[in-house]
This record gives sequence, structure tokens and C-alpha cells, in this order.
Amino acid sequence: MNLSLPTRLALVLATTVSLIHAADDSGVIRISERAQKTIPIALTGFSGESGQVLRFDLEVAGFDVVPVASAQYEVAGANNGNLQGTLTDTGNHHPLFARAYPGGTPRAQAHMLADDVVKAVTGQPGIARTRIAYKIDQGRTKEIYVSDYDGGNPFRATEDHSIAASPAWVPGKLKLFYTSYRSGNPDVYSHDLQTGTRTRVFGFNGLNSGAVVSPDGTHVAVILSKSGSPDLWVANVDGSGLRQLTHTLEPESSPCWSPDSRTLCFASTRDGRAALFTIPAAGGEMRKLPTGGILPATEPDWSPDGKWIAFSRAVGEFTIYVVPAAGGQAEPLTAGEDPSWAPNSRTIVFTRGRDGARRLSLLDVPTRRVKDVNRISGSSSQPSWAR
Amino acid sequence: MNRLTKLGLIALIAATAVVTGCTKKPGHITPIPAGGLSNSGAPGGGDLGNGGPIRNGGPNGAKFGGATNPAPIDLTNGKGLGTGDPSALPTGDPRAGKDEDRETFKSNTVYFYFDKATFNSSESSKIPAVIEFLKSHPDNNLLIEGHCDERGTEEYNRALGERRALALRELVVGAGISGERVTTISYGEDRPADPGHDEAAWSKNRRGEFILLTPSKGGSLK
Repeated sequence: MNLSLPTRLALVLATTVSLIHAADDSGVIRISERAQKTIPIALTGFSGESGQVLRFDLEVAGFDVVPVASAQYEVAGANNGNLQGTLTDTGNHHPLFARAYPGGTPRAQAHMLADDVVKAVTGQPGIARTRIAYKIDQGRTKEIYVSDYDGGNPFRATEDHSIAASPAWVPGKLKLFYTSYRSGNPDVYSHDLQTGTRTRVFGFNGLNSGAVVSPDGTHVAVILSKSGSPDLWVANVDGSGLRQLTHTLEPESSPCWSPDSRTLCFASTRDGRAALFTIPAAGGEMRKLPTGGILPATEPDWSPDGKWIAFSRAVGEFTIYVVPAAGGQAEPLTAGEDPSWAPNSRTIVFTRGRDGARRLSLLDVPTRRVKDVNRISGSSSQPSWAR
Repeated sequence: MNRLTKLGLIALIAATAVVTGCTKKPGHITPIPAGGLSNSGAPGGGDLGNGGPIRNGGPNGAKFGGATNPAPIDLTNGKGLGTGDPSALPTGDPRAGKDEDRETFKSNTVYFYFDKATFNSSESSKIPAVIEFLKSHPDNNLLIEGHCDERGTEEYNRALGERRALALRELVVGAGISGERVTTISYGEDRPADPGHDEAAWSKNRRGEFILLTPSKGGSLK
């Protein structure tokens, strides 16, 4: 099972070409179960919050919590103030590690243990100590919240009593870019969550939204309508050196960066129905990204390993698809919209449900397992995974 | 064809549709042709008289139908058709020193087709009154709000709502109102007029609203 993640994803996609996503009478999209198998693991000796957190983390990471008799691995634990855990391969009873986790909250200790289990079994770093940012709809007002990836430790980033939307993390920093209507217009702000300082980066007449900073931290892509239509622009991260990349009359939306910071992917209705396009960040021709006829396609997000682009298709119910970054046949993953990849290029946070009652969920792409993020308040959408 | 010329033509074609005010049947008019600048479209263009969709035609493509109702808009004397950039948003703030009047044009709200920045010809008749009012009140400005129903994704809808507001703005500016007086704002799907989840609600939500900006009585600048 110690295949590299790209190999795993390739396997999953290769074996799910025949995915069926027929709409039944209720309009619910069903996706076949031909996904990668979960890894059976037993948890013994855990209780309370740390037990719940550990179980959630491992299920999101592609494990199935089962009785010891049917488990491939066992995590034996104790919790005497400090969480302790021993991971054993039940096949050969070979202990893989035995560790104690002093300090921090019970949640934090359980997240650390979960990440160690994921690393020991899969060879890949875990995501249990990562954060997400998202929009919460509280009726007339919409604010930006930040929390742990599972919804723990929520923190309200904005208190504008207006509309705040489209949060995006600055790579590697406790800093967000987002849109806020606080001054009566959708303007783009950067917000340092450590110092609390906030700066308006784009405040032109018309639309300023969808800002996202390049992985190398030097540039920001944004949708502006100052020239008369919603086009894709790029600027230095402080907003200086603004350049217009697209010149279509029809709207562009939702830019995202390739991990090498050289290419942007975005949605455009240039050719009629919304489709995905790419364009060099330094300027050039916009090129349609083939998705095998899966349209309308919006909200692309490029996996940090550069291999995949996840996106939303809105036909009746929303569905999340994934396509190779060079284009190809897009494959359906699950019902939902607005995907954002975790730093592991394996897990996706997304929105599901109807306006006014939406919630965030986590998708483990290889196993197709979906787990809901703990809801804070109101209707949640537009998640962005810190990476 | 360069962008400015093309936008001017689009505004001309679109405004023509307003002038034509076809009522024969609930046909489609297309203020801003879909397909964007890269789509050269069929040469020859569309016949506006039959209520069918306007193809993205050349300057001689659009037939000018008889101007009956509502009152014709004089396009030839208008600023903006080839004499400036009718598309760029103002560099100044048309809202500065102004109050928002949401009542005057309340009945002029334009309802759009699903997933498009276009609307039925019956909606066109709501626009000339806005233009005439602005012509006779040069100290008033205009804010155009674009909205969407919930059936697109969020940022897609924020862009579509802006496109809708800009499509209406093209008509206003194309009719001779200075572009510096008219700005836009998109709320995407964030401010539905009807919170329902059916076509009856959606059809009320995909809309463009005209907000009159009057000289501030309080004297305070926004």
C-alpha cells in the first residue's frame, strides 16, 4: 500500500473510468463505489474528545475504523493527561511507533497522533493540523471565518456586517485575501490574521473579487470589471503593476494558480457555456482546458502537486469533477461545489447543500469518503484550504 | 475590429433593440451578444424585426426597425459611440456626494434570462425612462445593481451579475449619458429579491436594478 500519492490517484482514476453518475428520480447524483479501498484500523483505549477527533481524522484520511479482529493496523492509546499512542501492524504485530503527546489541548494532541499514523502507514504527511477559511451566511450579512480543517477552533475574521466572500489564503502565511462590500462596493482586502491589519488592495469601480495569491507569494490574480467587463488581471501582491490578462466581453471568474506560479486556470463564458481556460501569468493567449465535454465548468482549483484540477459543474445539482491538469476526460467525484485542495493533493474541502443551508464537507479523493466539517453557524460556503 | 469599435457596435445594436420594442411575440433580444470578442459571429447579423436572437453581426447587419414605442433614443448624437470608450467604468466615484434613491426606478427593474446577460424584449421598455430622467437631471448619477439566482456557483454569479449590470450600462451610456455618471455593482446571488428555491423566485432574482444617485441633502460625502 505504500504507493506514491500520484500513483494512487492515477490508479483511482484509471479504475473509475466507468463511473456512473445517473440522476435518479430525486435528482440525486449517484457515483459508483469503484474507489480505492479504505484501510481497516482499530482504535483501542481512546475515549472522549481525543477519541472522537482521532477517529474523524483517520476516516478523512482514508481509514475505516473497525474491530481489532478485522483490522490491518491497531492504534492502542492511553490518556492520562497526555495522549499516548502505539501503532501496530496487526499482520505481524510489528510496532511501528509508540509516542506520547504532552502539551496542547486534547484536540491538538489527537491531531498530532493522527498525522503520525497517516505518515507511518501511507508515507505522506497528514492534514489534521491544517486550517480552512470560508464564508458564513448569517442572513443579510456574510462574514469570513477561519477554523481548523475539521471546524474546530473557529475564529471570525471579519465583522463588517456586510457581505464578505471569496477568502483565499496567502501561501504559507496566516493571512487572507477576500472580497468585502463594507465600503459599498465589492473590494479586495488583504488581512493579516496575526496582527489584525487589513489593507484594501483593489477598490476600483465595479467588480473586484476572486483574488488569489501565487504559490511563490509574489503576485495576485483577480477579477476586475474596470475596463467594462469582468476580466482576469494580475498584479504584484501589493496591487501595484496591474496588468489585464483577458479581454473578453463575457465574464471570467475564479482564478487559481499552477504550483509553479507560471499559469492561471479560470472559468470563462467566452465560448458560450462556462468552461475552464488557462493563460500564462506573464500574459498570452487564453487556451481552453479540455474537460471531455463536462460543462458548464467553474471554480477550478489546481492541486499543489500540479497534477489535477478539481472544478464544479452546475447542472441541476452541483457536482465536483477532477481532470488532469493538461486536460482530458473529467471524472465526477461527489455532489457539491467550490472544491479546494488540501496541501496533501489528496483531500478536498467543498460546499454541499442548497443556498441558505449549505455546509462544508471533506472528500478523500482516493476512497471517495465524505465527512462533514463541524458547522459553526449559518450556511457555509467558499472554503479555502491553507497550504 | 478593435474592441472599442466593437463595443460601440454592440451598444448600437442593443440600443436598437430597445428602440424597436418588438411586441409581436415574446421573442429574444440580445443586448450583449454571447460569445465575446473572440467570436466573430455570422456575417450579416441579425434581423431585429422578427424578435429572434440578434446574431453578432457587422455594422450593416442590424436592421433598424420602425421606432414606435417607447420613445426613440437618439444614438447618433450620443457621446460614446466611437467617440470615447463606452465600456470602461468611471475613474471617479459617481456615488461621491450622492444619496441612493431606490424608489424612483423601482418599477424599471429589468429581469434577465437564466444564465445570461440578455432579456426579453418586453423588458427593454423599462430602460428609456431611466435614460430620459438622467438627461433631464444632469446633477443625478446612476448605480446599476446586477443580481443572479442561486443556480450558478458563487463567484461565477458575482461575475455574471456584473455582466448584467454592465449590459444595462452599455445601453444607458450608448444613449448619450456620460460614462462618468454611471457605475455598477454586482451582488451575485447574495441579495435575492425572493428567498425561495423555485423558478418563481429565481425569475425575480436574476435582475438589474437602477438606483438613482441624487445630490446629497445631508452634505456629507460618502
